[in-house]
Amino acid sequence: MNSLLTSAVAGLSAGGAYAILGVCVVFTYRLVSVVKFTATALGAIGAFVMVIMTEMGYPLLPSVLVGILVGALASTAVGLITTIWFSGSSQSIKAAVTAALLVCIIAMGQRLTGGQQPRAFPDIVGGAGIQLAGVTITAASLVAIGFAVFLTVAAEQVLNRTRMGLQLRALSERPMAAELLGIPVRRLAIGVWAASGAMTSIALMLVAPLRSPDFGSLSLLVVPAFAAALIGSFKSFRAALVGGILIGVIEGLASVFVGLNQYRAAVPFLVILVVLLWSQRGAQWDEAR
Amino acid sequence: MNILETENLVIKRMGIPVVREVNLVASSGEISVLLGANGAGKTTLLEGISGIIPIASGSVELEGNDMVKVSAGKRALAGIAHVEQGRTIFGSMTTEENLKVALHPDASLEEIYELFPELLARKDVQSMMLSGGEQQMVVIGRALVGRPKVVLIDEMSAGLAPVVVNRLMKGVRRLADLGLAVVLVEQFANLALEIGDRAYVMRRGSFVYEGDCATLGNDPDQLHHLYLGDIGEAA
Repeated sequence: MNSLLTSAVAGLSAGGAYAILGVCVVFTYRLVSVVKFTATALGAIGAFVMVIMTEMGYPLLPSVLVGILVGALASTAVGLITTIWFSGSSQSIKAAVTAALLVCIIAMGQRLTGGQQPRAFPDIVGGAGIQLAGVTITAASLVAIGFAVFLTVAAEQVLNRTRMGLQLRALSERPMAAELLGIPVRRLAIGVWAASGAMTSIALMLVAPLRSPDFGSLSLLVVPAFAAALIGSFKSFRAALVGGILIGVIEGLASVFVGLNQYRAAVPFLVILVVLLWSQRGAQWDEAR
Repeated sequence: MNILETENLVIKRMGIPVVREVNLVASSGEISVLLGANGAGKTTLLEGISGIIPIASGSVELEGNDMVKVSAGKRALAGIAHVEQGRTIFGSMTTEENLKVALHPDASLEEIYELFPELLARKDVQSMMLSGGEQQMVVIGRALVGRPKVVLIDEMSAGLAPVVVNRLMKGVRRLADLGLAVVLVEQFANLALEIGDRAYVMRRGSFVYEGDCATLGNDPDQLHHLYLGDIGEAA
């Protein structure tokens, strides 16, 4: 029983990162209507800039800040491509563009960061964490979950209680109508891309020491991110938060069972499948009637 | 005083001229009514003026300033408001949020509630739950709180009951009386001519009539002919 609890708690750290990534995916989708396949690959760029700088001997804090900035700039660059060259395109075209860019970024990232050789990522949080019911909850888990909760609350508050939030919602619903009202549509959209790039960089810096931290593996964390976002139908920040944490916990639990451990990476795919089937239930029941 | 002027304006869609050599004037305190059959080019003309689609040649001037190379967003900030057809509300927002999203520092929501008192009681209602007429009031009000100099209104009466259209027409007249220049594209020709000052009739991308609304309103045969041209004469 205790090993189950320990494993579930161990999954919280990954869960917190999945939650941050899921909230970022929802954030981008809700505000600029793009399913951002590049989300984690762009965050991986920021995370790897951080690790390369620490390897070169720079102090941790400036390396983290530069990594976040580079992640934001990389995301901004992809945002510019979609908002300038594909502004009038459908959601599916924009999603396809980000999927194509994901492949390019992974290929280039692996080439530039030493292929599939894992790098030694520093623990950017440090500290021992806390003991709860005999189980240690690491500081990284607490920070990841705390940051995910903060992002969720901040996103909701900004969208519902500020003028910029109103303008962002206008942008997401009717970009042309928003532009005709003098809302700085392009500037806001680029801001959304930059913010999501910065947030995913932070998430990957938190989760990298716990994973196999090569560029490709970190980039493919887009799968649990999408699974978390899907639980919230790509709309609800809170559901993405809870979904991300749950996926992490289920992954952690799976590690206890010998037969399941090597398949735990499949958990997000199963979650996606279950959520899609669940979302179709209404149509199937209607058809059955 | 002329607020908006176009000169020899040509707008193309997929390389084909849809608006040809159009000269339109909108003056402060006046409603310029733009009439014409479906496909005449009215909506394209408004979209060209507000910057939704590019202008092939000719000029668009707002208070003497050339707007041709200015983006849609900057034209809006300069004072061109465009109420698109189809009631483009932000459905997830309440009535008041729809109005606040474009609120100019010098404007107030009270002005809109005074113009359309119906909206006050519905200010906290999600705008997708409003009636078609109320939604149209929200869209017009939203354009006004940006403190425009000219308001382009495209087919605001589409799909609405005549009694609601009458109510909206009175609101539009009030806008002009407050000093705004209004360009009104409308299918309810008679109602539009009743509240309008200057009339333009468009056919196949060109103006075939320019004159005052009262004269055209009193001559239904001419209006019929202007709308349909040779087809009308044959019928």
